[in-house]
Amino acid sequence: MDIILGIKVQDSVIVATSKAFTRGISILKDKDDKTRVLTPHNLIAFTGEAGDTTQFADYIQANIQLFSMRENTELNSKSIASFIRQQLATSIRSRTPYQVQILLGGLNKGTEPFLSLLDYLGTRVDLPYCAHGYAAFYTMSLLDHHYRPDMNTEEGLKLLKLCNEELEKRMPIDFKGLYVKVIDKDGIRDIDFA
Amino acid sequence: MSIADIGKRFTYKTQFEQELEEASSEFQRLQPSLNSLAPSIAVPPISQPTDFLRAHTDYDSNSDCKIRMAHGTTTLAFRFQGGIIVAVDSRASAGNWIASQTVKKVIEINPMLLGTMAGTACDCQYWETWLGTQCRLHELRNKERISVCAASKILSNLVYSYKGMGLGMGTMICGYTPKEGPTIYYVDSDGTRLKGDLFCVGSGQTFAYGVLDTNYKWELSVDDALYLGKRAILAAAHRDAYSGGSINLFHVTEQGWVFHGNHDVGALFWEIKEKEKSFNNVEA
Amino acid sequence: MSRRYDSRTTIFSPEGRLYQVEYALEAINHAGTAIGVMAKDGVVLAAERKVTSKLLEQDTSAEKMYVLNDKTVCAVAGMTADAGILINNVRYSAQQYLKTYGEDIPIETLVKRICDVKQGYTQHGGLRPFGVSFIFAGYDDRYGFQLYTSNPSGNYSGWKATSIGANNNSAQTLLKQDYKDDLTLEEAKTLALKVLSKTTDSNKLTSEKVEFSTIGLDANNNIKLKIWSPESIDKLLKESGVLTRDEEGDDK
Repeated sequence: MDIILGIKVQDSVIVATSKAFTRGISILKDKDDKTRVLTPHNLIAFTGEAGDTTQFADYIQANIQLFSMRENTELNSKSIASFIRQQLATSIRSRTPYQVQILLGGLNKGTEPFLSLLDYLGTRVDLPYCAHGYAAFYTMSLLDHHYRPDMNTEEGLKLLKLCNEELEKRMPIDFKGLYVKVIDKDGIRDIDFA
Repeated sequence: MSIADIGKRFTYKTQFEQELEEASSEFQRLQPSLNSLAPSIAVPPISQPTDFLRAHTDYDSNSDCKIRMAHGTTTLAFRFQGGIIVAVDSRASAGNWIASQTVKKVIEINPMLLGTMAGTACDCQYWETWLGTQCRLHELRNKERISVCAASKILSNLVYSYKGMGLGMGTMICGYTPKEGPTIYYVDSDGTRLKGDLFCVGSGQTFAYGVLDTNYKWELSVDDALYLGKRAILAAAHRDAYSGGSINLFHVTEQGWVFHGNHDVGALFWEIKEKEKSFNNVEA
Repeated sequence: MSRRYDSRTTIFSPEGRLYQVEYALEAINHAGTAIGVMAKDGVVLAAERKVTSKLLEQDTSAEKMYVLNDKTVCAVAGMTADAGILINNVRYSAQQYLKTYGEDIPIETLVKRICDVKQGYTQHGGLRPFGVSFIFAGYDDRYGFQLYTSNPSGNYSGWKATSIGANNNSAQTLLKQDYKDDLTLEEAKTLALKVLSKTTDSNKLTSEKVEFSTIGLDANNNIKLKIWSPESIDKLLKESGVLTRDEEGDDK
């Protein structure tokens, strides 16, 4: 029931994740951050099987950082997406596959906004906007309707607000609000999304 | 015994060296896995141990399964101004059968660290004692007490390596270190690991949350906090059929943990009902 | 005395030397020369083929030039058979990188991969190190056109113009004299051939003795990589005027 949302606009990528961490019928934590920063211009958001999610995200984070150290350069978003997809494709053919859904947001080569959706089967699609899980059912139509590729960050956040309002209104469970992050040429920053 | 072994007995070693050596030789006999940090447990020698275990231990998918894991618990821990309070019940049940009313569900990992036990008792007991060993080894190797963060991560990585093979534990690792302050990590056998201020774990968690959330404040005095922990477990013991027995209470401070007694639920219930004028669904 | 220290790659001599590695470097100093020159719009590799015979089939025995992937080519000096192992290895490695990251392997990373293998054999794995030096020419988005050399010890370095193999000292001196920073690919081709013609032992360059490859941009600004055929090498030799200069020199 986690919410993972991403919107790509002219000069940035906006990523939103729900704050609630739910186990069984209880919310165990209401300030859970479901993202990992990979490089100064790239992050992933994740959901899926408990345990697998954080282990996989940590693994990806560590490997991307290791690459940066070894090669003394930042991997661009497309290569990161390709790397994650390859890891998932290897994992699904192993005895213990990682059951995770990933959303990668960043600036390709530090300039071009990039958003990619990956699932545990090893599917990768690069999209202008996307969502994982139940959130997709509520917000995709809304995004189909209002999204324009020439939006700026401001307008993107306004659109995200519409999504949030719809989710607050119709989702049967409390997801404790959203953590919102914007990735633009200045790097990654948190947005106060009250 | 080889000559080298005999020789070893008569050479001088510090206590540190001896402990380190014993610990590592102990582990060498067992097959190394997880960077040889952990001994490994035998897994059924079949292609899908996961399915095998489910078929024989999961009551929901196979009602006449031969092995039934013990379940049912209420445990809680919360951070407050004066440290951490840990409170647990003491009932062990297997199905409808109450197996014991005097289980120790707080595992004293070392004088600074506590682990709580919910889920399969043997898994919790075994791996949390093992965690104690790892923590001691960390201390010997690094001349510094392990952080709660690191200790919980060792446990979390271990249980994750056995994911889906039948381990069933939900635990809170509680401790106080100079750099972290009072810290609680929730670790379960899915591989989940969360840092937080307040957790309740077990079949009675909802009842405990009910009391705890409404009365919890960071500024609580130590006495009030101890009472609240005890009261929350009592609430769960009262409403949850699989929780009960007695309550074990702990307070974790900068100097380590302090035990605050074992309180029988039977007597405590009437005492608190009398004092609070609560539990009015029950006639005296 | 040195016998004790030169039969294993892993053992330092009391003076702190690794004899086997030094012997390998020495072996390369007798191999055919290879020259690399970087221009602003491309890179040239030229190499001298030592063993020639009328009976040798020309087009089935490319000896010193190998394409590693779409954007990298290398020239070899030393034991071609040893080079074969490394080239096979790094071609595979480059494809694996392409599969994982969806883009071509950066040139320096590729060179590093070869050098890691070479270095490994100076410590363990076999009784002798790889007896080959390489010149790599390639292009990537990060640094544009690039030129590297690597030697049996596993060291590598980047150059504007460089040479390996026999007479590499004199070749290096000639390159230092004639190299200019804003060389075009055409000028670089001539320079490479000129230096090669002066450093080779034989008195006349022909397509039988020369191997040649270039990496540059085509009309659409795409990277174009080419190992030249004997016919086009002959044509190039004629056009560049290197031959006539040489013949004049011989006449005198």
